Amino acid sequence: MKLLKRNWPFHLMILPSLIFLIVFSYVPMAWIVMAFQDFKPRLGISGSEWIGLDNFRYLFEREDSVQVIINTLVIAVLKMVANLIAPFTFAIFLNELRKMFVKRFVQTLVYLPHFLSWVILGGILVDILSTDGGFVNRIITNVFGIEPIFFLGDGTWFRITVVVTDMWKEFGFGTVVFLAALANVNPSLYEAAEVDGASRFKQTMHITIPSMIPITIVVGTLALGNILNAGFDQIFNLYNPLVYDKGDIIDTFVYRAAILNGQMGFGTAIGLFKSVIGMILIVVSYRLAYKLAGYRIF
Amino acid sequence: MKSKASKSWLTMLTLTLILSLLAACSNNSSSSNTNSGNAGTAANTGNSESVYKEKYEPPVTISTVWGVDPALKFKNGESIENNVATKWALDKFGIDIKSLWSVTDTNGAFATKLRLSLTSGQELPDIVVVGNDDPQLAQDLIDSGAFQDAGALFDKYANDTWKAAMEMDSNVWNPYIRDGVRMGIPLLDYAYNHDYLLWIRQDWLDKLNMEAPKTIEELEAVLEAFKNNNPQGLKPDQVTPLSIGFKSSLNTWMGDPSWIFGAYGTIPEQWNLAADGTLEYGSVNEAMKPGLVKLNEWYNKGYIPREAALWDENKTAEPAVAGTAGIIPGPYWMSGWPLLDTAKNVEGAVWKPYPIPTGPDGKAGRHGTHFTNGVILINKDMKHPEALFTYQNYLFDNYANPAPGSEFDLGLFKGYDYDIDENGNPVFGDDIPGGQIIAPARYFLVRDGARIPDAQMNALLALADGKEPETRLEKDVAVNYGPDTPAAAKVLLSQEDISMKNMFTGPTTPTMKMKLDYLNKLELQTFNEIIYGKKPVDAFDKFVETWKSSGGADITKEVNEWYQTVK
Repeated sequence: MKLLKRNWPFHLMILPSLIFLIVFSYVPMAWIVMAFQDFKPRLGISGSEWIGLDNFRYLFEREDSVQVIINTLVIAVLKMVANLIAPFTFAIFLNELRKMFVKRFVQTLVYLPHFLSWVILGGILVDILSTDGGFVNRIITNVFGIEPIFFLGDGTWFRITVVVTDMWKEFGFGTVVFLAALANVNPSLYEAAEVDGASRFKQTMHITIPSMIPITIVVGTLALGNILNAGFDQIFNLYNPLVYDKGDIIDTFVYRAAILNGQMGFGTAIGLFKSVIGMILIVVSYRLAYKLAGYRIF
Repeated sequence: MKSKASKSWLTMLTLTLILSLLAACSNNSSSSNTNSGNAGTAANTGNSESVYKEKYEPPVTISTVWGVDPALKFKNGESIENNVATKWALDKFGIDIKSLWSVTDTNGAFATKLRLSLTSGQELPDIVVVGNDDPQLAQDLIDSGAFQDAGALFDKYANDTWKAAMEMDSNVWNPYIRDGVRMGIPLLDYAYNHDYLLWIRQDWLDKLNMEAPKTIEELEAVLEAFKNNNPQGLKPDQVTPLSIGFKSSLNTWMGDPSWIFGAYGTIPEQWNLAADGTLEYGSVNEAMKPGLVKLNEWYNKGYIPREAALWDENKTAEPAVAGTAGIIPGPYWMSGWPLLDTAKNVEGAVWKPYPIPTGPDGKAGRHGTHFTNGVILINKDMKHPEALFTYQNYLFDNYANPAPGSEFDLGLFKGYDYDIDENGNPVFGDDIPGGQIIAPARYFLVRDGARIPDAQMNALLALADGKEPETRLEKDVAVNYGPDTPAAAKVLLSQEDISMKNMFTGPTTPTMKMKLDYLNKLELQTFNEIIYGKKPVDAFDKFVETWKSSGGADITKEVNEWYQTVK
């Protein structure tokens, strides 16, 4: 009680985000029932016909559903791994920099792309990856002397492009989290190691990396919840009929089926399906993280 | 002391944060309060007699939403919400156009936003004007039940000019009829506005000493020469001999490839009249096959852009304007926009209109244009629906095709699409101080103001025959539509019989609702893969089979049932 008295400004500062959370994440949950309805906007929730699990059945009966789910998993897992390894490695390198100014400068520099929207980046990427004189392909043909690569028109290259560009955009953001963890490492550990004659490399291997493991597990665990989110903004701005086969993901599929074709109930069903899978994965991986690494987030 | 100071700082910060949040909330609620207050009083007065007026005093409000064409320009810091046309409406009729929201209409953003506001139960505007590029949107809006019997209002308030224009084709109401009630007013458009022809670089043809192609075969020879023997000295990989794109569809308006299939007897992605009198989906017709083979061949030879699958309509215009494209299919009015700019980039560049080439059997085809390009929906809670007619009736009488001497004789708005110089003479185009606005009619509440279907073609044909421009429309097309537009109109009408309209204009059928997105995906994917050589052309047969078994057969049945009711 005394604690509350002293800290009330902090509690008050949480309030706006709490209100946001309730308004935008909890209140809409009431509309989950749409997943079990043949929802029609003019009839509303109360008037629409209840159809049980038909929406879910339809999801698995569609000829392209399995392919879409596979695409989503492949792209999301690749992104997850890339977005864990890249910031992890980069944070270690950055931590070894002695000059504070350079460190901060580089950190800000790699952080900036995070703030660009995919709508803008999509336009830029289409141009620089173009096979007709795009920047990247000009380098490929002039320097390496091979045929231009149709990055956005070939299924496999499309997946690679999506993962790499996402990594480029987001790894600066991830690095910040890891750097924060590194700042918390007790300096006396390094001092002791130095006294014992450990080289910088040994220090990195035995002090820096082990102390990053807990935060890595946290980040990895939280990312698992997004296993069925392959990034709508990005894919939607880059894909085209040529790569439907390997690039169409659940979210773009929902966009076409639910938004463009007006099957709101079906769209909600897919959303619910995604959320349930995500929640199961978070619970399981959280338990695993506790068991294997002895780390609790909450 | 220090800690105390910092603590009070923290408190201040917190309070500011909370207050600003509260302020934001209360702002909203207070404005919505005044809104409902207004609405209440307006509703009371709305039911009184003789409501239709030439001018409303005090002003009445019409709320609407806007999807702004990205090509539309503004000047003097204006926007779609507040510009010369909204001021004009307020001064002239006492009609205050209130914008609920507006969005730049790329990637179907307008349709998406409107659908979301429909689903989330947000306030719908008094007037919604929806285009035909997403026909389902209008149907969804009508099904929402938020709109009223527009046909009855039309009969009651519309003037003779508008009614006569509407009667030119009685089918225009078809898509919007529900149980015999006309739920929306069709938005009339100029006939043939989306029919297309081939724009070819005449200066290239002349330098090569070639004739304009009349058949697909001759066309290939021209493309070959443009590509590998370019008269402008461009290297083969710098030329786009035929600028087409099919990111969203094989049947579109600029850079459209559908005539390539037309040469073999079908137009894809629309419902055509089959030989037995029923409707058939063009994309599953056998004639697609030779068309796809041709496109694949042209792709391999580099006649079409390597990234055609990534190109939308506006992108196909880029090489045409830059002067690196030889041929672009498109509407007759392209001479004014965007092709007028080519000559600025390449000296001596000349575009000329030519008919669609014929296939091996002498067939040719292009997609046709309905007399409508959308619909006007009237909210059933609209307080003053008659105000819409005050606005539109005036435009039909004084703007659509008036005799000489009307308010809009020279153009719409002084300083926008025309101006008067110090000697009192009208000036147009780049001579307007501060730059010209192309098509300021897009500022009107109802897109493009008012159009009478045959008016523009009549004006163009008159000009093509050498008549001096007299009426407003004749002057308008003479000044604003590019030098070759009359000639293009003539070319277009010379092929009137090859124009195939999409015969299905009814509401989405139940199977369409369930399956159409999948069928469309399958179709686009298969066609693109065949064109890019990733699949052999035989994949088409498998596509037709899958299309039919995955719902296409049911859709065909439903479409024909609808067709029987309107035939």
